[in-house]
Amino acid sequence: MYHNSSQKKYWTFDNEAPLEQMRHEANQKYRSKAISLRKPGINDSSFLDPREEKVLFRHYEKRLLDFCSVFKPAMPKSVVGTACMYFRRFYLNNSLMEYHPRTIMLTCAYLSCKVDEFNVSSTQFVGNLQENPASQERALEQILEYELLLIQQLNFHLVVHNPYRPMEGFIIDLKTRYPMLENPEMLRKNADDFLNRAAVTDAGLLFSPSQIALTAVLNSAARAGLKMETYLTECMGLKDDKETLSKMYDAMRRMTILLKEYELPRPEEVNVCKQKLERIHAEFAQTTNLLMAPVERRKEEGRRGCSVRF
Amino acid sequence: MDDQGCPRCKTTKYRNPSLKLMVNVCGHTLCENCVDMLFVRGSGNCVQCDTPLRKSNFRLQLFEDPAIDKEVEIRKRVLKIYNKRDFDFSSLREYNDYLEQVEEIVYNLTNNVDVERTKQIMEQYQRENRDVIQRNKVKLTREQEELEEILLLEQQDTEQRRLETLQEEQRQLQAKRKNKQALLDELERSQLPASILLAQHKDRAAQLETQIEKQKQSVKPTTIFSTGIPKGQTVSLAPVIRVEEVLYKYQPINVETYGPPLPELEQLDRLGYLNHVRTATPQDLAGGYTSELACHRALQDAFSGLFTSLV
Repeated sequence: MYHNSSQKKYWTFDNEAPLEQMRHEANQKYRSKAISLRKPGINDSSFLDPREEKVLFRHYEKRLLDFCSVFKPAMPKSVVGTACMYFRRFYLNNSLMEYHPRTIMLTCAYLSCKVDEFNVSSTQFVGNLQENPASQERALEQILEYELLLIQQLNFHLVVHNPYRPMEGFIIDLKTRYPMLENPEMLRKNADDFLNRAAVTDAGLLFSPSQIALTAVLNSAARAGLKMETYLTECMGLKDDKETLSKMYDAMRRMTILLKEYELPRPEEVNVCKQKLERIHAEFAQTTNLLMAPVERRKEEGRRGCSVRF
Repeated sequence: MDDQGCPRCKTTKYRNPSLKLMVNVCGHTLCENCVDMLFVRGSGNCVQCDTPLRKSNFRLQLFEDPAIDKEVEIRKRVLKIYNKRDFDFSSLREYNDYLEQVEEIVYNLTNNVDVERTKQIMEQYQRENRDVIQRNKVKLTREQEELEEILLLEQQDTEQRRLETLQEEQRQLQAKRKNKQALLDELERSQLPASILLAQHKDRAAQLETQIEKQKQSVKPTTIFSTGIPKGQTVSLAPVIRVEEVLYKYQPINVETYGPPLPELEQLDRLGYLNHVRTATPQDLAGGYTSELACHRALQDAFSGLFTSLV
């Protein structure tokens, strides 16, 4: 359950500051590593700065969601949510310049299918890519190469609690204990929409999934013009606990602001950043492989021989 | 044994299931015929490893893997020298160290590792502990003798019983024959009419039968139980000492959910939650699924962690 999960212990932060800090540190770490290679013609400006990384990150996240939405067979929502969360957590500690987001995004989706027990064979998985079979095969090889790295960078915390089931729980609870609301079903669509928008923000790293689900429900009710404060005071037993109540409202307000602030990056900006990224990867791709410590390299080679495909 | 063939004539083993495989000191097998053919002069070289061997060293193979037979032979030889027992040592650790030594020697000789050095170690040990070995040999033979005595006794017992039953049968046969003879004699001699004589005879025959039956059923009383404990020994019926410890007290676990309280699984129906959950079809119920499970899970997830970082 969430309350004794690794997500609560290790992957939930108080506010955006530690998140920004971690991303900044990952960026710096890669920069210093790359500079130590002392390649000619590379100076500070050829690296991506955190803002550009954010642009690219959002772009590739959108592509991940698109990939999952056209996936055949239909991917359940929890798998998509888990994949998004893996993507987000990975790039909390690593820079986009070091690992290309396209491969990582496919690896996240692949791993998420496995973890959430959504059985897809590896050939079926790459069959969903719009390419010829040869490049599909190559993509699969890359995915399998990066799989262990992804698991490692997630610190082996693979279980992700998504807000979809809590939302169902709230709707059931509303129907049972809150007669003032005549038809909670009509809240469902907007709440769903809210959750999808929350998945592309940092909300999953800042709030618990039940909080996100509650915010979704209340937001949807507010949008429909219904008042639901008594739900919190009566049913959740917060009538006498003013402090918790106010903190709850605070958290919900912060979350809605987060969602509002999200905007999809413009295509021109994306292209500029993409070009920079490709150049960096072309320059450093070979050398970073050799930079890996011998133990890591042997591990990679050994693992390649025994990757599990199903 | 049929999946192994003789390494030399390969086919003959499958065709003749009664053929036996022989093993000798190098650990390689040969079927009986091949042994006879190759060692017609009494000694020769092994087919696979070319070690010089004698025909007398060939023994019938007992195990599927010839290496095991080889090891068993080596072990017998080594244990003839290293025959100390557990009470010869002052501590368990020493005994275990000794056993490990023995195992190493056996392993080395079986796998042809350091053979020379191992043989030297063995000879040295033999020289040093000559008297201990001798003493233990004597003890061992005494034990073996005792075992053999008991075996002999058992054998004699069964022999006895067999003879006795045989004799009984003989006697019964003879009794029957005498009875018939007596009838014939009486028919000759006596003045009584034949029917009365026949009736008398039948009576006597019936009596004999019942006697035989009774004898068969009477079992000789034994003096010992089957495990060897003599009957009539007094057994102490004193109660076993009770050991009482602190009683275990169950403490229910307390899980912090950081959220509002959740209704119990059993209360869900009463509280009306189940009306809003999809009812379980008969197939689901058969598998053990109830709609309470899904409802409870959803509510658990909704309430868990709701108040984190707020309290």
